[in-house]
Amino acid sequence: MASGFGLALRNLARNRRRTAISLSIVAAGTVGLLLTAGFIQFSFAGLEDALIHGGLGHLEVVAKAAADERSATLERSLAHGLVDWPAIQADIESLPGVAAAAPNVHLMGMASKPDGATVSFIGLGVDPERERRMGFTTKLRAGADLAAGEPAPGQDQVLVALGLAESLGVAPGDVVTLLAMTSDQTLNALDVRVAGLVTTGIQDLDTRYLKLHFRSAQRLLATERVNDLIVGLDDNDDLATAQAALEARFASREDAPLAVVPWRDRAPFYDQVRNLYRGIFWFLGSVIFVLVVLATSNTLVMTVMERVREIGTLRAIGTSRGQVARMIVAEALWLGVLGALVGNLLGLGLIVLINGLGLQMPPPPGAVNPIDLKLAVVPAALVGSVVLMTAVLALASVFPVLKAVRLKVVEALTHV
Amino acid sequence: MTPPLFEARGLGKTYRLGEARIEALAGVDVTIEAGALVALAGPSGSGKSTLLNLLGLLDEPDTGTLKFSGREVQALPESEKTLLRRRLLGFVFQSFHLLPVLSARENVEYPLVIAGVGRNERRQRATEALAAVGLADRLDHPPDRLSGGERQRVAIARAVVHGPAALLADEPTGNLDSKTTAAIVDLLFRLNQERGTTLLFATHDPALFARAPRRIRLADGRIVADERDGGG
Repeated sequence: MASGFGLALRNLARNRRRTAISLSIVAAGTVGLLLTAGFIQFSFAGLEDALIHGGLGHLEVVAKAAADERSATLERSLAHGLVDWPAIQADIESLPGVAAAAPNVHLMGMASKPDGATVSFIGLGVDPERERRMGFTTKLRAGADLAAGEPAPGQDQVLVALGLAESLGVAPGDVVTLLAMTSDQTLNALDVRVAGLVTTGIQDLDTRYLKLHFRSAQRLLATERVNDLIVGLDDNDDLATAQAALEARFASREDAPLAVVPWRDRAPFYDQVRNLYRGIFWFLGSVIFVLVVLATSNTLVMTVMERVREIGTLRAIGTSRGQVARMIVAEALWLGVLGALVGNLLGLGLIVLINGLGLQMPPPPGAVNPIDLKLAVVPAALVGSVVLMTAVLALASVFPVLKAVRLKVVEALTHV
Repeated sequence: MTPPLFEARGLGKTYRLGEARIEALAGVDVTIEAGALVALAGPSGSGKSTLLNLLGLLDEPDTGTLKFSGREVQALPESEKTLLRRRLLGFVFQSFHLLPVLSARENVEYPLVIAGVGRNERRQRATEALAAVGLADRLDHPPDRLSGGERQRVAIARAVVHGPAALLADEPTGNLDSKTTAAIVDLLFRLNQERGTTLLFATHDPALFARAPRRIRLADGRIVADERDGGG
């Protein structure tokens, strides 16, 4: 005969409407958890990808002195720049799993247009060909990207951020004069043609940012040095291994020690965002937890109160309090497991639907571009929600169980 | 010498109903031997059900002592009383009190399930018990597809399937028509005679009461008559 969980399942089937309500509550809570976890996971992955392929790379190889001194801005001195960087670059690129090691030159100065508009800028000299190899993306809004090869003298190009372009009043094809201080503190100028207009995605930075070939930047700064080498890997998961391999390779450079800095150390706000999202997730999770406990506990109490005479009968014929308690807990556990499974199915369906709709959210404060509303399927959340909802229902059954086991047999038998 | 199955001395029970106190049982002395067949009668509120509840260890007396097979039981913890009910007592209620989600056989199996009897054995014993009450062809019927008399037969099979020492029935025919009543009473009496199961039942039916070899009348919580066939 049906005993234990089988009997519990049959009892649930007795009042289908109430069971459906309880399952809906559990399923709704599960869907809420899955969607929240999916959104957060997608956001983490998207942010990680945006940071790595937006310019940070997986690793940065930099002079140790520069790493020790630097601030979080793009304004960096070349005093601690890499001199023998072509050799270091070749060394890095010989490692398996490395897509490329691209030099960066950071610069700042004034940009001016022949008709007189002059605006300060923060610039970055890059290797466009290697950046493309590493999967870096440029958010081009007009014109063309930088040419892949090294520009010949007099053929220097620049990508200008939208805000800076507006201040200067330039468009693709226009010529801009860049002024900057060289390492020996003399003022140097370089005429560059605007290849295209870009956005960094950050509104404030767009008012000052420009990007050019690192050779052009070196010409302007009259140097052969670069600030650092940005290392791109074929696989995100190889980061720790690659970092250890590079550190081992450079350990012998005592005269000019190098630091190998992972991208997360250069993006402190990434961890801040993660912590913020985790906080939101736990807050929402706690709210869902409390709501599901209260709502299902209420329906379980109703179930017990409807079966007072039956519980009295069970007790009369020798069912112990523990056995009655187990029967109610078994019903609660079924509700938790079945509700979570239904919630998983609904949640997966909703994720597919939402992802298929191609929805976008408005840009966050300070950002320029809208964010795609996509949800990831998080396997841990699928399994975790079943475990969590089972635990939630076990907790929700505490009060109904107490109610049931405290019934006096004679009073229960005559309950109306 | 075998002690009596039930031995009550000065058994009293008072219930509160709001501010009022209702004395349901007022110092009852009664001894019931193993294998006896005893009918309880009396007007509503006379204490029949209360006496059955106390003897069946479903309730606790406020006063007096109760021995079950020579062992004092009124002060036992609830867990031990549960075990005694499970092993040695069977109950038949006026409203049958079958579990609606279980079939007839599963209802009868239930006391064996909680007693830890193995699946095959309990299926066999439940089938035999139902056959003994004439329901061999209703094994898989749920209670709502059985008539009142059939439900009460299932309840009786459930009450005796584990071989209890005593069967306590509180108005077992109260919800049945006269023809079904006769069949149920015959069944209960047969169980008493064939198996030696002690049978105590409360009834409002004078004809049924008269059939019992021992007849106890209660009024206002007291035994006012205790008659036995053969001048007892």
